[in-house]
Amino acid sequence: MVMLEIKNLSKFFGDLEVLRDVNMAVEKGEVVVVIGPSGSGKSTMLRCINLLEQPSGGEILYQGKDITHLGRQVTDYRKHVGMVFQRFNLFPLKTVLDNVCYAPMKLNKLPAKDAKEQAMALLKKVGLESKAGVYPAALSGGQQQRVAIARALAMQPELMLFDEPTSALDPELVGDVLEVMKQLAGEGMTMVVVTHEMGFARDVADRVIFMDGGYIVEENTPVEIFTSPKNDRTRSFLARVL
Amino acid sequence: MELNFQKAFAKLGPSLLDGVGIVVYITLAGFACALVAALLIAIGRLSKSRVLDRILSIFIELIRGTPLLVQFFYIYYVVPMLINGISAAMGYHTNVQLEASTCGIIGFAINYGCYMSEVIRSAILAIDPGQREAGLALGFSEGQVLFGFIIPPALRNSVPVFGNYLVMLIKDTSLLAMISVQELLLRTKTFASQTFLTVEAYTILALVYLVISIPLSQLSRLVERRLKRVR
Repeated sequence: MVMLEIKNLSKFFGDLEVLRDVNMAVEKGEVVVVIGPSGSGKSTMLRCINLLEQPSGGEILYQGKDITHLGRQVTDYRKHVGMVFQRFNLFPLKTVLDNVCYAPMKLNKLPAKDAKEQAMALLKKVGLESKAGVYPAALSGGQQQRVAIARALAMQPELMLFDEPTSALDPELVGDVLEVMKQLAGEGMTMVVVTHEMGFARDVADRVIFMDGGYIVEENTPVEIFTSPKNDRTRSFLARVL
Repeated sequence: MELNFQKAFAKLGPSLLDGVGIVVYITLAGFACALVAALLIAIGRLSKSRVLDRILSIFIELIRGTPLLVQFFYIYYVVPMLINGISAAMGYHTNVQLEASTCGIIGFAINYGCYMSEVIRSAILAIDPGQREAGLALGFSEGQVLFGFIIPPALRNSVPVFGNYLVMLIKDTSLLAMISVQELLLRTKTFASQTFLTVEAYTILALVYLVISIPLSQLSRLVERRLKRVR
């Protein structure tokens, strides 16, 4: 079943064309990893998927329905789509526990007791149940990112978007975050991951998309793309990063 | 020169105590109204409406470009005349009069509201845009994000500056002597002109202001340090 389908997506910032004619589809339960040089439009594409950026043209179908012109209903759509940011963006005045249980309590009217239970279970899942009572500033970057993943999961999304989740982390902290993401993929979560972690792409992705200059240059299984890339630009990019 | 502080204090003291009551009332009411006004102006200026932003920024320029004392006079004398004049022109007979202390509260709300709105506005702009995006991505609306994730930390970061404005406002209540509010300065002035204990009276007055404002600025410094520690 196709969960997400992007058709002829384009995006301009002023006169600058950052996405052109992007077409892709994500099956339910699939893990799609998007790679490419900086400025290639991968983050913009991800941000278009949950409408943090309004697309300039084209369609984005979520479970068959176009979501690019929802108006105020966009909030209902976003509840189904979790997002994890490069810079974590935890709420600094809320404890770790409140960061995770605030949205389900406010938006889904989950009773406080249930929301807290769910939040503790999620924190346990990301290995941070002992940090429930502290504020985000007391955590390392890797821990903050894992809390951010738990926060997104608390809304029980059907699709998770990861925008370079490990790019702002010290190298030794990357592993824990990738481990959580791997576990999530193993549980069947549908994921679109923008990353520079080629190891993760190779091990976890069902499909790898290579973007450059605002459009999709090549997409294939990780084995194909890493061992025999078809396009010259894919080849030279991989030669530089691997 | 002979000084008689004892006599001055015995007579002026109780009167000043009443005056402190008025000062505290006007300060609290004026500051609370100013905070609300500041928040509304700040939100208005940050809204998507260019027109609203323009109108508000002209208004702020008007207020910041004229002395607070002139504004008090304007509210006390001119505004009632304008209201009565306009309603007379429309065929109604009104006799609006504003009580002096009410004029003080309105004046502080407008004047301090404008100054503090700039504080709040820059505090809002200083909040990481990632906070907004995180809120939106979870499914909150723009309004929920603004009041849930942007304004609380922005206000919190503004608290030290608010403390300074509060102390300034207390001292500025002395301007209200000019529109006949029975606050500390007017009471002292009357007392001094009746008894000729000029040196004593004004010295006591200055001390009373210090007794109020020094602990307050200490308190605001304490709060500031507290806030820093929690984060």
